[in-house]
Amino acid sequence: MEIALIGNPNTGKTTLFNSLTTNYATVGNWTGVTVEKKMGQLKNAAAKLIDLPGVYSLTPLTKDEEVVTRYLLENRPDLILNVTNAGQLKRNLLLTLEVREFGQPMILNLNMIDDLKRQGVAFDFATLSARLGCPVMATNARNQDGIKALNAALVKQPAEQEPLVLDYPPMVKEAIRQASQALVKDYDYQEADARWLAIQYMNKNKVVRRYAAFKDLKPLLSMLAYYDAQHFDDKIFNTRLDFIEDTLAAAREKLSDQQPREFSNQVDKVITNPILGLPIFCLIFLLIFKLSFDWVGTPISDLLDSFISGPFSTAVNHWLTAAGALPVLRSLVVNGLIAGVGGVLVFVPQIFTLFACISILEDSGYMARAALVTDRLMQLIGLNGKSFIPLIIGFGCNVTGIMAARTIEQPKERLVTTLISPFMSCSARLPIYGLVVAAFFPKHQALIVLSIYLLGIVVALAVAKGYQLFFHTSDSSVFIVELPEYHLPRLDVIWHSTWDKSKGFVHKAGTVIFAGTVLIWLMSSFGLSGYTTDPANSFAALLGKALLPLLAPLGITHWEIISALFTGVLAKEVITSSMMVMFHSANQAALIGALGSFMTPVAAYALLAFILLYSPCFATLGTIKQETGSTKWMLWSLMLSLLIGYGVSMLIYVGGTLLLG
Amino acid sequence: MSPKNYTLHHFNQIERATLTRLHNLGLYDGEVVTLIQRYPFHGPVIIENDHQRIALRYKVFATLAGE
Repeated sequence: MEIALIGNPNTGKTTLFNSLTTNYATVGNWTGVTVEKKMGQLKNAAAKLIDLPGVYSLTPLTKDEEVVTRYLLENRPDLILNVTNAGQLKRNLLLTLEVREFGQPMILNLNMIDDLKRQGVAFDFATLSARLGCPVMATNARNQDGIKALNAALVKQPAEQEPLVLDYPPMVKEAIRQASQALVKDYDYQEADARWLAIQYMNKNKVVRRYAAFKDLKPLLSMLAYYDAQHFDDKIFNTRLDFIEDTLAAAREKLSDQQPREFSNQVDKVITNPILGLPIFCLIFLLIFKLSFDWVGTPISDLLDSFISGPFSTAVNHWLTAAGALPVLRSLVVNGLIAGVGGVLVFVPQIFTLFACISILEDSGYMARAALVTDRLMQLIGLNGKSFIPLIIGFGCNVTGIMAARTIEQPKERLVTTLISPFMSCSARLPIYGLVVAAFFPKHQALIVLSIYLLGIVVALAVAKGYQLFFHTSDSSVFIVELPEYHLPRLDVIWHSTWDKSKGFVHKAGTVIFAGTVLIWLMSSFGLSGYTTDPANSFAALLGKALLPLLAPLGITHWEIISALFTGVLAKEVITSSMMVMFHSANQAALIGALGSFMTPVAAYALLAFILLYSPCFATLGTIKQETGSTKWMLWSLMLSLLIGYGVSMLIYVGGTLLLG
Repeated sequence: MSPKNYTLHHFNQIERATLTRLHNLGLYDGEVVTLIQRYPFHGPVIIENDHQRIALRYKVFATLAGE
């Protein structure tokens, strides 16, 4: 049995999904957290639950909203669980009506029922159920209230339900009748499907219109101009609104006086204050960086590094020697794999801390406020505050950041956000930053890393300004953001969300970084004359030395760094492991010592800037191609990154050397 | 600033995608909203309607509220 979860954003849909399933999905209090559908196994049953992105209606404005309509066109779930915010039922029911018209069995779930009680209102469920033609159940997923009863209802085989038939104006009714009759007769559609398709088509649903054109549904295509000229979409909307108002008026019961959302309002007085809002936003991010790099992440990383490079590496070396392993194999395992993969894994605590902080921001409801306080700034470069969220998510991983850009309504703004996302410093770059700042800026690690993050933001905004002048994006922006109530983050939600984000990094350590490390070990251990213990005669040295004149203006004077940068295109984490292998360093301290002996702090900072900007990784390039549907934009992104990385890095090196000597 | 009530009109002057999103969030012709916050330099405004707070561009709000 397949059950689909459909509902507005900010209805607690994904929290409910986590409570109902044995496995989990990422939870967030920001539109677009579920950017693709997610699947889970329903507790105590063989049924699977599909978590679809939050949508306000089946007529999509954004790419992630299209996922739901496409799902309904291509699938026939056995049951639909329509999750609503009980406190915002009027607007939530607009989607409910569209789903009831679809005709598959549905349960209407009034989640966040406490919010409704606080408004001093209750609804008679029998009246709602009778008018909408489906069962109605209440929950408060954050406190687990009503979850058991809902789970029990979902386990049962759903009873058949007649599709909801609304009393549209006569001309709309007649048009629906004619179109659906023709679709049933000439195209073999079921009556309910034909009717739903016709209504959605008249309502200017662009996914359904594309579907009709693809299937060549002449009864609909031939009437397009008539439907639009008669403003059928407005008539459909007004009928639905009247039905909802009648239904809610009939079902409403007043309980007591309402209590305003005191907590959220008080917090918002400070957080969204016109003067303080932006400085608070900056302070929050400074705090995140201090936690990740100074107070929590780095000390744990240091402990882990001393264990991996010390007792662990020594024990493996002894064991291999005792087992009689060949020196070349011992070199591969100890100098290659343990130094390389281990050198990246020691950064897991820092990355975990960063992701935990981002998850707390998502779950608390702050992300919507971040969009609000940054909107005026983003307006200057032809974007809106909503673009800031994918960019922040890009701090974790550029791929998920680009995916989150799907929530942006305006296609040009979405494209620009996608193209500037790779300039945001993702967590994969952290290991190499960690090494360089420890070597050259030991007393100001968090500040230097923060400055690199800010450099990424400044470059992204400057490039966006360039695109604004090119695309003329300023006038058509859609910036309407719902500010959900604040939630005190739940520990299990934060844990799941942090693990979901971090597990990719750990997984990569076992796959891409492992392979990259072996590759770089092979390149640095073999040369034209075969196996060599002198890396200066290796293939990696040949490649690095050939490019040395080109990168000398950036202060890069050692071929080992160039070879390591090459592998960074595979995945940014590999830069660190490559350097460990190239410099034959057993631990971070040895590599830090090696780097410190031949680079100045200015050259080190220029190198950090180059690593930040020079190229998106393979996965990001693939995602740009997928999201823009164009190889051209992918190649453009690569070329522009290289040019900007080279230019900015040279400016820092030359300027810094002139100023500081 | 002290909250002030506005009745929303002139939806026909709003661009289609923005209009759809306003409808999605329960903002219709004749709806009364409370202005909670303005941002400097014609930045976004926060309005409250039916127990929910929504941020939108000043230009859109000014058109709807007839400012």
